[in-house]
Amino acid sequence: MAIWVEVDLCDGCRRCVRACPYDAVEIREGKAHIGDRCTSCGACMEACRNEAILTDAQPRVVPDFSDYKGVWVFAEQRGGELHRVSVELLGKAQELATQLNQTVAAVLIGDGVAGLADTLVEFGADTVYLVEDAILRDYRTEAYAHVFKELVEAHKPNILLMGATHIGRDLAPRVSRRVGSGLTADCTELSIDPDEGILLQTRPAFGGNVMATIINRYSRPQMATVRPGVMEVVSAAGTQGSIVTHVTRVSEDRIGTKILEIVKEPKTHTDLTEAKVIVAGGRGVGDAAGFELLGELAAALGAELAGTRVAFEEGWIPASRQVGQTGVTVRPDLYIACGLSGAIQHRAGMMDSKFIVAINKDPYAPIFKVADWGIVGDVFDVVPELTAQVRAVCQVMCD
Amino acid sequence: MIRSNPEELIRKTIARFVDAEIIPVAQELDNKGEFPREIFEKLARMGLFGIRYPRNKGGAGGNTTLYCIICEELARGLVSVASITAMQCLMGTNFLFHYGTEEMREQYFLPAMRGEKIGCFCMTEPDAGSDLGAITTRATEVDGGYLINGMKTWVTDGPEASFYTVMCQTDPKKRLRGIGYFFIPRDFPGVSTSPRFECLGTRTTPICEVAFKDVFIPKEYRLTPEGEGLNAFLKIIAEIRAMTAALAIGLQRAAMDDSIKYANERVASGQTIGKFQLIQAKIANMATNLEASKLLTYKSAAMIDAGRDALKEATMAKYFATEAACSAADECTRIFAGYGYSMEYTAQRYYRDTRFLLSGGGTHEVLQGNIARWAGV
Amino acid sequence: MNIIVLIKQVPNTTEVKLDPKTGNLIREGVETIINPDDLHALEAALALKETHEAVVTVLSMGPPQAIDAVSEAMGMGADKAVFLSDRAFAGADTWATSYTLGKAIQHMGEVDLILAGRQAIDGDTAQVGPQVADFLDLPQVTYVFDIQAVHADYVVVKRRLEDGYERIQCRLPALLTVIPGAGKPRYPMASRLLLACREKAPIQVWNAADIRVTTAEVGLEGSLTQVMRTFAPKFERRGTMLEGGTVDVVRTLTAHLRENKLV
Repeated sequence: MAIWVEVDLCDGCRRCVRACPYDAVEIREGKAHIGDRCTSCGACMEACRNEAILTDAQPRVVPDFSDYKGVWVFAEQRGGELHRVSVELLGKAQELATQLNQTVAAVLIGDGVAGLADTLVEFGADTVYLVEDAILRDYRTEAYAHVFKELVEAHKPNILLMGATHIGRDLAPRVSRRVGSGLTADCTELSIDPDEGILLQTRPAFGGNVMATIINRYSRPQMATVRPGVMEVVSAAGTQGSIVTHVTRVSEDRIGTKILEIVKEPKTHTDLTEAKVIVAGGRGVGDAAGFELLGELAAALGAELAGTRVAFEEGWIPASRQVGQTGVTVRPDLYIACGLSGAIQHRAGMMDSKFIVAINKDPYAPIFKVADWGIVGDVFDVVPELTAQVRAVCQVMCD
Repeated sequence: MIRSNPEELIRKTIARFVDAEIIPVAQELDNKGEFPREIFEKLARMGLFGIRYPRNKGGAGGNTTLYCIICEELARGLVSVASITAMQCLMGTNFLFHYGTEEMREQYFLPAMRGEKIGCFCMTEPDAGSDLGAITTRATEVDGGYLINGMKTWVTDGPEASFYTVMCQTDPKKRLRGIGYFFIPRDFPGVSTSPRFECLGTRTTPICEVAFKDVFIPKEYRLTPEGEGLNAFLKIIAEIRAMTAALAIGLQRAAMDDSIKYANERVASGQTIGKFQLIQAKIANMATNLEASKLLTYKSAAMIDAGRDALKEATMAKYFATEAACSAADECTRIFAGYGYSMEYTAQRYYRDTRFLLSGGGTHEVLQGNIARWAGV
Repeated sequence: MNIIVLIKQVPNTTEVKLDPKTGNLIREGVETIINPDDLHALEAALALKETHEAVVTVLSMGPPQAIDAVSEAMGMGADKAVFLSDRAFAGADTWATSYTLGKAIQHMGEVDLILAGRQAIDGDTAQVGPQVADFLDLPQVTYVFDIQAVHADYVVVKRRLEDGYERIQCRLPALLTVIPGAGKPRYPMASRLLLACREKAPIQVWNAADIRVTTAEVGLEGSLTQVMRTFAPKFERRGTMLEGGTVDVVRTLTAHLRENKLV
């Protein structure tokens, strides 16, 4: 793509020289000359009165992608264990594939992981691309990216989904650049545009203050990552799937990284301001023993424990756990307020929570005015019941 | 050429520091009332104490406007932290910088810039405040130096200081013409300090009395040459008043920010109290006073930077901005109503801290007299 | 050793709101900051400078006012900076951004180590770092929280995983994306900030011509993805009071929580 001057039409008026934002145009022997600083931005063409500046640039067109077919899911495994998000993605992939009248494929990479293929079929994969090699045993960016490039070039998928795990978020952008395709991170919603047949990728931006729907019109595969826990697992038990093995040509000297060790660490307390779920208590919890009940609920939910000023002053929680105007401000996805009335100074610290549950004996407690769901009742009855039911739910989901 | 605006850049940086490092601990620091050593060291690491001094002499290469911006932002977090910084940047080190020998610079000035030594300024005496001609601390010339005798009070940072810049009388007959500044390290024999005062506001700023009994200092520790003391004072007092005005602006902003936040949250009779006109009037007054304070203050700072005499403008700025701070803090406690009376909330602190600004840099009764005189009566 | 640190100026996201009528971002009066993860990347580079012979160059792209992020980085101790600013760069997705940054890095000459924040708080994509690495054909390690050793031709770093960490040896030159680690980012020094404001400060400002790209390859035009629409997430409170016996109300509540994927 270039821009050039038709010398016969140029009267050397210098308008283009002044219009160029990059100092790329100069007058030589009375005629405009475009130098190598030109970025083809077209400012000179607009400025020229004689239409003496021409370009071969074409308006952007959407390429024909009709030979790109299939919805692919990266089947992430660590140490031979399938990550739950991959199964979730297969559920969504089935839905997308049905709308597109295409099929679902899972990409399974590792060493000695063939046994996982059946699970992938059971949860929706029509095809499993199986790539096994000792070099692929533990995830490494370059090795896996290389495999993906081989597969994408060979099979031309329409859509490629990965979990937004620490591995998926490392691999997906690398693959996207490698295969020349756009990528949307951390989607919370995926659907097919009924008119254009392209993937609508919706994700939060600006810390969740804004939702954006993003499309990838100019490249294939349409790539997206999705956070774990967002999509639902859909069983496809009874269906058949085929396994296609692929032999990679990636070699150790290309990879550049060596894993020296993998260390598992027990989960530690997160900062309250970063907590996704918070269980908080106030005066109504009564005593430290009451807070132990809240602690059990928090453990069942994977939540952090917090409290009001009173709870702090009574010594039921440390200062760092006090929510409110004189404590910390939190914005979790879920805030469960137990036995606290919701005085303005407390509400100021938790109003921006996405969902608020209130449990309080007093039906007139102001906390109910800001709650999504309110339960009038004794904390000592409701909280243990909730803990039990949450545990039951998690049990079902983990099985 | 795309470049940052230094004033905006410094303001932004200090604002971020204040939001992250001062505001979250301001109430706690104020309650404890201890010298904020940790914050002081952080400010030193940022090189803020040298903001007014040239870079090639251990400073940061800024000016009075930047100095005022820093003071304003810090005061938005905690007035006492700002006043400690203000002292270290200006009064505590200024005469040492301009008149000290190379050796004194090495031994005291540069460590002060690094926050390792604290300098402070001794003017007021038990019987002489704004009336400088009445000071009685004597510097008597003796063989090889001076003997200093007297008592200074309301010495900001006095209990923490490593050295004092002390205004002394060299010849009582000359009254104002006889005053001069003398450099006195705290560890010199004959220097003693009282226990720190219990004060109403700015509780992390330690204040005490300092007594000098037959303190011998060498000749070069006389900072201002004979006859130049008053001029030196008149030169620094404009900057002190501009700085005090900047502290008052910071306090106004803190009171206003909290008032607005509360007025938009607190509900009474089914609506936020910010919807009530009487509350709106208070906010409107705060906002207008703030803008006027800024204009006066930064005009005087710009005049000082341009090398012009800014005493009148700085005096007006100090007077106006501090009165506006008093009013903003007062209205803030009213907007917070019952909570304004609670020691747990910030309103009470703003209210108490205004009292520090009222007398620092000259009482308003004296300043109004000066302003009236300049106006022609 | 030449270290390049990628930084981005971002709005302080907790304050960003959508105009309820137009659906556009309200940017007015929103404070801008250096992206927090990028501050940690810069801190890691400056810490390396204290123990190794290193020159730290900051690279940023943004509208003219984003120069403040560059100046602040200079204030923290970066030796020099390149600031990519051109209207043609505006509206870039991560594809076009990584291309532009990659081209600029090629123009900056020899580099041993590129450090970037894991992700920017305005987009949260975590894509630009790996995409730059791929453009330059360099190995990458993401989620780095500890740079343990730096040698002439390799580094040893710790990479955070959801349930622990990996210790990885990575060949140089390489690109690392950094998450908050042990070192708290330092505050800038006043004198350095003021130096960065001067014309002769070692900050180069480059446009599309300077890095030899066409305007069609960068910015909105060079992007592969487009934002089709933005909207405010649903936020209103339901205010539903659940009624019935303890077991029943809790069952209803649990169902609501599941429905909204909260458990």
